[in-house]
Amino acid sequence: MKNSTRREFIAASAGAVALSYAIFRSTQGWLTQMGQVAGIGVERTLGGKLTPPNARDIDPVSHALNRLTFGPGPGDHARVSAMGVEKFIEQQLSPEKMDDSLCDRATARFSDMWNEPLGEQYDAEPEALPPVLRRVTLLRAIYSERQLFEVMCEFWSDHFNIDPGKADCRWTKPTDDADVIRKHALGNFRDLLRASALSPAMLWYLDGRANVKRRPDEKPNENYARELMELHTLGVHGGYTQQDVMEVARCLTGWTIRARRDDGFAKTLISPQTDHFAVFFRKDAHDDDSKRVLGHEIPAGLGKGDLDRVIEIVGSHASTAQFIAHKLCVRFIADEPPQSAVSAVASAFSASNGDIKTTLRALFAAPEFASSAGTKFKRPFHFIVSALRATNASTTADRPLLSYLERMGHMPFCWPTPDGYPATAQHWRSTLLWRWNFALALANNQINGTSIQRARLQARIGSDVGLMATLLGRQPRAEESDAWLKSGDGLALLLASPAFQRC
Amino acid sequence: MNTQTHISGNGDDKRTLVVVFLRGAADGLTLVAPLGDDNYRKFRPRLAVKREDAVKLDGFFGLHANLRALEPAWKDGELCIVHGAGGESDTRSHFEAQELMEHGGPASGGWLGRFLRTQNPSPSPLSAIALSPTLPEVLSGAPSAAAFESLGDFSLGGRGGGKRLPSNFSHELRRLYELETDALRDAARNTFDAIARIEAIDPNAQPGNGATYDERDSFARGLRQVAQLIQADVGLDAASVDLGGWDSHFTQQTLIEPLMLRLARGLAAFRQDLGARITTTTVVVMTEFGRRVAENSAFGTDHGRGSAMFVLGGGVRGGRVFGGLQPGGPWPGLKPEMLEGPGDLPVWNNYRDILAPVLTRHGASADALGKIFPDFSLSGLPLFAE
Repeated sequence: MKNSTRREFIAASAGAVALSYAIFRSTQGWLTQMGQVAGIGVERTLGGKLTPPNARDIDPVSHALNRLTFGPGPGDHARVSAMGVEKFIEQQLSPEKMDDSLCDRATARFSDMWNEPLGEQYDAEPEALPPVLRRVTLLRAIYSERQLFEVMCEFWSDHFNIDPGKADCRWTKPTDDADVIRKHALGNFRDLLRASALSPAMLWYLDGRANVKRRPDEKPNENYARELMELHTLGVHGGYTQQDVMEVARCLTGWTIRARRDDGFAKTLISPQTDHFAVFFRKDAHDDDSKRVLGHEIPAGLGKGDLDRVIEIVGSHASTAQFIAHKLCVRFIADEPPQSAVSAVASAFSASNGDIKTTLRALFAAPEFASSAGTKFKRPFHFIVSALRATNASTTADRPLLSYLERMGHMPFCWPTPDGYPATAQHWRSTLLWRWNFALALANNQINGTSIQRARLQARIGSDVGLMATLLGRQPRAEESDAWLKSGDGLALLLASPAFQRC
Repeated sequence: MNTQTHISGNGDDKRTLVVVFLRGAADGLTLVAPLGDDNYRKFRPRLAVKREDAVKLDGFFGLHANLRALEPAWKDGELCIVHGAGGESDTRSHFEAQELMEHGGPASGGWLGRFLRTQNPSPSPLSAIALSPTLPEVLSGAPSAAAFESLGDFSLGGRGGGKRLPSNFSHELRRLYELETDALRDAARNTFDAIARIEAIDPNAQPGNGATYDERDSFARGLRQVAQLIQADVGLDAASVDLGGWDSHFTQQTLIEPLMLRLARGLAAFRQDLGARITTTTVVVMTEFGRRVAENSAFGTDHGRGSAMFVLGGGVRGGRVFGGLQPGGPWPGLKPEMLEGPGDLPVWNNYRDILAPVLTRHGASADALGKIFPDFSLSGLPLFAE
């Protein structure tokens, strides 16, 4: 490693330093073990009781596991049954208190190609960053004990979607993942919103960096202002007008980032390498006259304070509570959630000033949540991860595994538009064939870098019925047991079955 | 004499409608430039298409040079253009506008899905396809629709994987899905049927008439596979192919010039590949809205209203730009007082008035059109000679 490059990385701007510091640390950890376990995945320990679910239908324990996690693995039902669902939910709401050493190990050695620290890669090979982010995201979903946290990271990654394929987002999206999404996933919504507004990746992705007013005739760029209200807060029918979009755009003029190179627009903003992507406020490019946003007067002369006023106005708007609550209920309850549940969740959101844990507690306590067991159609990412968890798979999350997600149109961080991957079943039902093929490949160890120990798993659980119940979260129905026997490949059949597509 | 039994509801006509959606709001004033309008250059001092670069159409309009591959279709009278085209949504939101346009107004399901439903209640499993990872809204509600990216991979067990499957697997899987009672059962039925149809096609066959597609270009590959399905007579009524990335707030030319090249070359290869079958095929190119008439400070354009739509295929009154307030009327001009809202080209031609004559050609009755586009008073443009 060249020392100069390393120093540059260490001394780099806030944006660069923040660049997925967790990944960087993990890479350092991995370096110490280099050569020892390169390319070999980890697997969850099959310790403790593996007693499978015994109920005819999905019980509250299986339901909580289905919705708060990316799917139960062998033994999870017994573990959560012993502690009780309420305690499990509270545990999941405090991820910082949970040991996550298995996940740390899985992500520490996530790649045998990754033989240089991220700083070096950052300097030389930007194309490598989004693929690493994808692998790490998949590994965390599979191996982290902090499952609800990972589920919420996925939720907010869609809500504040950024496609790293757009220009310099390939460098800056990992930073956004660490400093915006993961930092605030279970924190306060307004903090999350503000962090997103000033995320270098978001400033790139929705052109905020180009939203400048340097001359009276210069028109603000409305891109971010519109999506801020339409997608991040109020929702498209949340009560804002084209005038509000233009006013919010004016408020945000001047927030920009240091450019990496001359792209014909921001010549004056070219920075030395150590300062790439630093976010800063250009007073000379800010429209400092008075504005009116959603009925609120914003006086002239606030400068960078306009941003805080905008976050406060849109973050505390009643439509925002409804919009976020509805989206959460779609994720955790049903594609068309009952309005009663949405209202209860929205009230908790408003009363707590956007505290995400409080909001989720209200959601999980709603009777509509309890009565929705087994009715949600898993999105492809959820399906793949749940199959890997159910079979206690060992994986490096290498290309052959990721290609199944790509085929189903659900590769993490590949959705091009700011609305994020679709949440509801109708968008994903046409992926059945690829799910079936994944089930066949996984059950027969035909995915390079991913393996299961079918015989050992079956032996540890003790019976076919037990394995079926572990996969289904309930006892198998007569037809499922029958098909298991006749199909010639019971495990693949059950992973491909209608019941396993739902949660 | 063709003795093949067609499984499609459109019988011997074997008509196929291909919808190309330019996602991100394509700038109609660059695709089809009003060269004869002096205001055009005033609003677009840096971005206007130059007269000397353009592909001249009718003395007033010109195609951007990167669309030159469409010139033969224009000259052969197989391509017509509608300017000032768009929908009624004025939120200037990509998602709202795309959804409204794909749904055909504030209705549930897509207009193409509803059209297919009025044509044949139990069509071919390959009646409707989307060359995309997931089904687009426009096809939602179709009695049968499949989304995929490559014909060759469409088999159970993966490419050639059928042989490795345990012999009862497919049967048992199907049996479990047949026990379902909701949309998941229908999705599984469609999938099994489509597998059988596609396995019968040779994915390596050469394109017809010496046509060449850019195999590195996903859009061209999509069109090629549509052509394969048309030529294989699998009963393809409709196909959806997306070309995204038109949201040119910033350095517009860099963003959309490669896209225009892909659009024109892909369509030209498709037309050549189909040969005479183009006469029973219609391609509609549409986008959710256009861009603001005045360019912005970042060499780009912001969200606007009216854009351009293309209709290519057999029977169209080709070689014409429908650009005015009245069908066949003159271009009203980009006078500041003509523009809408913050300075946008108005929508003179609602997309439904362009789609209606297309759907009529593809078999929709007047009654069906009322169901496909509910709560809208249609006045279809005279786009077809018949």
